[in-house]
Amino acid sequence: MVTYLQVIISGLLLGGVYALLAGGLTLIFGVMRVINLAHGEFLMLGAYASYYLFMRLGLNPIVSLLLTLPLMFLIGWVAQRFLVTRVVRAPLLTSLLLTYGVSLALTGGAQALFTNDFRSVPFMSGAVNVGELALSIPRLVACGIALVLTAAAQYFLVRTRWGKALRATSQSADVALACGIDIDRARTLAFAIAVALAGAAGTLTSFLYTVYPEMGRTFMLKAFAVIVLGGMGSFPGAFLGALALGVIESTAGYLTTTQVAEAVIYVTLLGMLLLRPQGFFGLKEA
Amino acid sequence: MTDDVLLACSDIHAGYGRVPVLRGVNVVVHTGHFVSLIGPNGAGKSTVLKAITGYARLQSGTVTLAGTPITGLRADRLVPLGLSYVPQGRIVFGEMTVHENLEMGAFTVTNDRVRADAFAHVYDLFPRLAERRTQLAGTMSGGEQQMVAIARGLMIRPRIMLLDEPSLGLAPRFVQIVFETLRMLKAEGLSMLVVEQNAAQALAIADHAYLLELGRNRLEGTGTELLENPETRRLYLGD
Repeated sequence: MVTYLQVIISGLLLGGVYALLAGGLTLIFGVMRVINLAHGEFLMLGAYASYYLFMRLGLNPIVSLLLTLPLMFLIGWVAQRFLVTRVVRAPLLTSLLLTYGVSLALTGGAQALFTNDFRSVPFMSGAVNVGELALSIPRLVACGIALVLTAAAQYFLVRTRWGKALRATSQSADVALACGIDIDRARTLAFAIAVALAGAAGTLTSFLYTVYPEMGRTFMLKAFAVIVLGGMGSFPGAFLGALALGVIESTAGYLTTTQVAEAVIYVTLLGMLLLRPQGFFGLKEA
Repeated sequence: MTDDVLLACSDIHAGYGRVPVLRGVNVVVHTGHFVSLIGPNGAGKSTVLKAITGYARLQSGTVTLAGTPITGLRADRLVPLGLSYVPQGRIVFGEMTVHENLEMGAFTVTNDRVRADAFAHVYDLFPRLAERRTQLAGTMSGGEQQMVAIARGLMIRPRIMLLDEPSLGLAPRFVQIVFETLRMLKAEGLSMLVVEQNAAQALAIADHAYLLELGRNRLEGTGTELLENPETRRLYLGD
């Protein structure tokens, strides 16, 4: 019983980090119906940023987050203004090709600049005992930060003027325009926030997993599974989907092996697509 | 042109992609007037509104608002100039509350006091929306959604409001409510340019009206003149 509780909690902790990545992916999809295939690579950039800030300047990842968040926001802003904006109104295939191209370019660039070596950030370790449960400290910290960032993003979307404008743009871009909302700006803001969240997810994974140029791919696939669970375009849906996926992954890993757990994730994804393709909270007209 | 010309479209040609829909349309709205645009399907009524607001591509011609050229400006640039557009199909932000829908209507209004006045005015005009301010707009009936869409357009206290087929697809009871609302707004002095397929009712309110056919002006006159014109009656009122 205790072991099983332990498995569920570690799944939930895992889910917090997935939520950051998937939340941004779903925000981009909601606001401009673009599937950003380069999203995992933004996570990878965030991971390298915190790796180098740790190794060169000795900044611990929690502190370096204060640098990587605005840096990644800026990268997202530029990527949208100069690249993605050109394909927003184009057919889906065009934006898939563009973002896939960005993904390849970033992975290749990282291989050239950082080499293919596996790296890790030796920051925090150990576990804290709660009753009979042993909870990993790095995972607790990572999940805590992920929750704070997710809550901040949700607060922004629900409470602030521009946050509401993003939701309005996602529900009807034409009417948002008629309300006087500069939808290009809303889209740029959405993309920049999403990339900043992906970068933060990268920072958190940098001290949980190994850092390497192709690390984004695995996370990207998980983010897709999360979005299928939660529903395309729904930020709270992505959060719940992420927790669900974390628990599914960790339970499957406990009952079988890590390799089988990966397979279970995708079987879940397929099952969900067959039974409830709109996810828990998907956009109706999407 | 006289001083009180608020909106003027001169010889506009517009369409979607390469397909021309309007082939030289002239429309003038004087301050405080209710102007109806009527005509058969495919005449280009809605396209006139879309050409003014930048949703359709304007190939040539000019549009002015109170003498200032606004030709080809996108809708979000027109809002700060006091032009409000209520698109066809009573589109609301379905996953937002009535109040949030109105907040979006007031997106460009940053002065808190002006904003509060706009809410008070709109809730006063539409008590039904005041009762339902926390309801998700997507869960309302078609007629109520049209009220939300119109109320949203009023939040900037517009100088002129463009409405595209406000009664389209509504139950008869709500068609009446929409026309009562339009009368009420006219009585408040709001200038309006309204596209309607319900020609008889639209002409009955109108100070001035245009009948379009195949992307061109066909007839114009006061609402009563067009209502009594044998050609209008034959073509569009089913006599």
